[in-house]
Amino acid sequence: MKSLRVVLFAVLVAVPVLAHHSGAGFGEETKVITGTVKQFQFLNPHSWIQVEVTDKTGKVVEWSLEWGSPNQLGRQGIRPSTFPEGAKATFKIRPVKTGAPVAAFQAARFDDGHIVGKWEGGAPAE
Amino acid sequence: MLNVTRLVTWAALGAAFVLAPGPGYGQSAALTPFDKLPDWTGLWMMMGGTVFDTATQTGKGGAVTPGVREHPPYTEVYEKKYEEHLAKRDANRFPDVITNCGVPVGYPRILNLPDAYEFMVRPEEFYIITENGPNTMRVYTDGRPLPKKEDTWGTYTGVSVGHWEGDTLVWETTGLKGDRDNDSILDRTGLILSDAAHITTRMRKINDNTLQAVLTIEDSKALTKPWVVTKQFRKQKPGLFMYDYGCAENNRNPVDTSTGETLVLGSDGKPVR
Repeated sequence: MKSLRVVLFAVLVAVPVLAHHSGAGFGEETKVITGTVKQFQFLNPHSWIQVEVTDKTGKVVEWSLEWGSPNQLGRQGIRPSTFPEGAKATFKIRPVKTGAPVAAFQAARFDDGHIVGKWEGGAPAE
Repeated sequence: MLNVTRLVTWAALGAAFVLAPGPGYGQSAALTPFDKLPDWTGLWMMMGGTVFDTATQTGKGGAVTPGVREHPPYTEVYEKKYEEHLAKRDANRFPDVITNCGVPVGYPRILNLPDAYEFMVRPEEFYIITENGPNTMRVYTDGRPLPKKEDTWGTYTGVSVGHWEGDTLVWETTGLKGDRDNDSILDRTGLILSDAAHITTRMRKINDNTLQAVLTIEDSKALTKPWVVTKQFRKQKPGLFMYDYGCAENNRNPVDTSTGETLVLGSDGKPVR
């Protein structure tokens, strides 16, 4: 539990910057999705969390959630094991303006209650 | 019949020739001794956003009050170019030139990056090593003069020579390619300089945990007067590691060269629409 608190504190105090490409594609609005982790790509230049979400019609949509570089995240306590394959979680994200299932990752709340990232303020549920 | 004495003599002469000190490549006595240089060791992170001009960011987060902008004092020609870049940026048609990996970010953008920095101080040379990219910049502090304009040909980072004024490193940079080939920008808003840019940088520690670089940018083609910008870097806790940064390792944001659009690839490698 202590190590978890360390991770959460570290992530709270330093939100990574996505600067490899233009950030113009991400909207200002936040959104909440719930799904299952398909893959966590802890690779440069940016990390990506692949999340499978079942929509209202029963169709499974794969979201691509972009996060910081593994270098920066790694120094803050994030590891490849932070998002285990198959884990269920609720994600707070900032989607791209085009409507595609792509977003900037902000935070995740796992089923056991622990949070990764910066989860503050409200966001409309999907 | 082998003449052993003669052989030994020639061998000794040969060894003496090989082992003799070379002509005059020793360290200059005029260099600032290592123990007189400031301690800039450790890992550092740039403070603030990865833009030089926060006022040009659309939406929240950018000051738009006239008079407080860091907007460069562009000439009419370069203001027009910059406005075109901003319009393309807003339409997601202005790709960041480093998006496809492979080219240096250049100067002064090397002071405008996320991820970790190391600033390596030595008597004869100063190095900026950025994790992002990765990128390296060299500032020669061995007393050599700045090359003449005709002896430079325009590179991303240019050439830099500097000297120490107490605890402040002062260096001049020239030989930049600027916007000549449309592949060197200062930030992702599309700020540019020309190949006439000449930058004077003064860098020092303003307290134990903060390094500050003040850049005076002169450019007879792009600017109507010197443009002064400041970048600061915060020291990170000790014991952290720098890592390699394989830009092409998993680049899911390639550029569609036919449209200039920065794509997002899904986990299957296909563009997500």
